[in-house]
Amino acid sequence: MIELKGVTKLYQGQAVPAVQNLSLSINRGEICVFVGPSGCGKSTTLRMINRMIEPSSGTIEIDGKNIMSSDPDSLRMGIGYVIQQIGLLPHRTIAENIAIVPRLYKWPKEKIKSRVNELLEMMGLDPAETRNKYPSQLSGGQMQRVGVARAMAVDPSIMLMDEPFGAVDPVARNRLQDEFLRLQKEINKTIVFVTHDINEAIKMGDKIAILNQGQLIQFGTPEEILTDPANDFVENFIGYDRIVKKLNLYTVAEAMKTSFGLVDEAEFSGINAKIPNAEVIFVRDQGEQLVGYLTAEDLSAQGAQRLTQVARQKRLSFVKLNTPLPDALSLMLENDADYVAVLDGDRLCGAI
Amino acid sequence: MQFVNQNSTTIVEYTQNHFELVLTAVLISLLLWVPSGILLTKSDKWARRALAIANIIFCIPSLSLFAVFVTIPFLGLGRQSALLALVLYAMMPLMRNVYDGVKNVDRNVLEAAKGMGMSTGRIMREIRLPLGMPVIFAGFRITVVMTTGIAAIATYIGERNLGRFISEGLVRSNTNMIITGAILISVIAVGLDTFLGLVEKRVVPRGLRVRR
Repeated sequence: MIELKGVTKLYQGQAVPAVQNLSLSINRGEICVFVGPSGCGKSTTLRMINRMIEPSSGTIEIDGKNIMSSDPDSLRMGIGYVIQQIGLLPHRTIAENIAIVPRLYKWPKEKIKSRVNELLEMMGLDPAETRNKYPSQLSGGQMQRVGVARAMAVDPSIMLMDEPFGAVDPVARNRLQDEFLRLQKEINKTIVFVTHDINEAIKMGDKIAILNQGQLIQFGTPEEILTDPANDFVENFIGYDRIVKKLNLYTVAEAMKTSFGLVDEAEFSGINAKIPNAEVIFVRDQGEQLVGYLTAEDLSAQGAQRLTQVARQKRLSFVKLNTPLPDALSLMLENDADYVAVLDGDRLCGAI
Repeated sequence: MQFVNQNSTTIVEYTQNHFELVLTAVLISLLLWVPSGILLTKSDKWARRALAIANIIFCIPSLSLFAVFVTIPFLGLGRQSALLALVLYAMMPLMRNVYDGVKNVDRNVLEAAKGMGMSTGRIMREIRLPLGMPVIFAGFRITVVMTTGIAAIATYIGERNLGRFISEGLVRSNTNMIITGAILISVIAVGLDTFLGLVEKRVVPRGLRVRR
C-alpha cells in the first residue's frame, strides 16, 4: 500500500540527515506507528508521505505509484491528515471545517451536508448542536474529534496522524484512543501514526517502527518488539516494565478460564458431586443475581450451611471480555479477590 | 458661530476639497499597498527592503516632504504633490499591516490547510486574508485618520482645504477661523474612524469574535 524505499531527507545546512535510508512497507488496513524520541525523524518521514516535505533521495510509492509523479495538492486531497495542534480554521464553523476537502472535490451541497452530519455522529458529537459552533467554543477533546472527522471527510484510504491525541489530557486521550480503535475496525483505513509515547504505540499499532537519529531500528508487531527487542536502545526505550506492557496486548478473553461452576444458593447440598472439577463456583441468589463465589478449598473446609455466608463475604467483581488483562488484574488486587467473573454481555462466560 | 454663518460657502468648498483629497489618496493607497503587502509575503528579502523604505518615508516630516515635491518640476504646487506625499505616507501603516496580517497566521492552521490539499491561492483567499483582517483593518483605519490630518498640511502647497482656515487664521490672528478649521478636521477624523469601526465589525469574520 505505502512503500518507502531508501528514503533519505537531508535538510539544508545540516550535516546529519533527519531521515537516513529508510525502507519499509505498510499494508492496507494496518495501523503503522512511528515511534521514537524527539528529533528521530518520525514526523519528517510522515510528512514526506504527503509531500509536505520532499525527500532528498529514495522513492515513496502509494499503491505502486511514485508520489512524485502526482500533483502535490491532489495527492494531499486524497490523504487524510491530522496534526497534534489540529489546525481548525478559527473563522469557520465546525461544519465548514469538516467540509473543506469535500469542497475541494466540488461535492454538491446536499452531499456535503449529510456527510458532515454522518461524521459528527460517528465521532460522538451531536450534529445539530455542533455544526454551527466555532472551534473556540469546543473543548480540546471535541476539537480533536473534529480534526479526525475532517481528515476522514472524503473517506480517504490512507490517513496520516501526527501525534493526534498528544494535546489532550490523559483521560480524554485514553477515550479517544479506544474510540478510534473501535472506529478503525469499521473503516479499516491504512494509517500512519506518529507518537513519542511507546505505550500509545503498543496500544494503537498493528506494526511499530522504532526510529532513532533518522534510522529505522526495529520494525514489527508490538508483540515481536516487546518479546524480542532488537538492541539496547529499543530495550531502554520500551522501559523496564516490558513484561507488564506485554500484558496490554492481551484481553481478558484470551486469559480466562472457561471451566467454572454456577449454582443457586438454594442448592448447596451435594454441590461437590455436581461440579467436581471446577476451580471456582459462582453463586447466585433466587433472583439469578450473582452474589459471590466459592473456591474448591471452601467447599472441602466448610459445612454446607455456612457456604452462603462465605460466598457472600467475598467481593465479586466483573470484567468484560474485551477488557485489557492488566485492568482485570489490578481490579483483583484492589478487591483482594482470587477470582473475577467475566461477562459476555449479560452472560457469565468465564473466570480469571 | 458668526464666523461659520458668514463663511458657509467657503467652509463647504474647503470640506469638499478636503474629502476629495483624502478619498483619492486612500483609494490609490489601497490599490497600491494592499496587493504589494500581499506580494511581499512571498519573499522575505524584498519584504525587509520595502518595509525599510516605508519606514524611512514615514519618518520624514510631512511639511518637508511636501516642500521637496513642490521643487520637482512636473509635480509642482498643488494636487499631484499632495496626493503623492499622502500615498507614500500610507505605505507604512497599510502595507506593513497587510504584510503582518497575512504573514502571521497561525502556522498550524496553514499546515493543516496545506496538508488537506488547499492551493496557495485558496489558502490566501480563504484563510490568510480573513484571518489577517483584524490587523489589516487596523492599518486601514490608521491610514484614513492619518491622511485626514496630513491633508490639512497640504494647504501650504496650494490645497484649498480645511487646513487653510488654520494657516490663514494663524497669519491673521483670527481665533474663530483657527478654531473652525481645527474642530472640523478633528470631527471628520474622529467621525471617519468611528464609521470604520462599525464597518470593521462586519468585515472581521464572526468566528474570530465569538468566545466560548
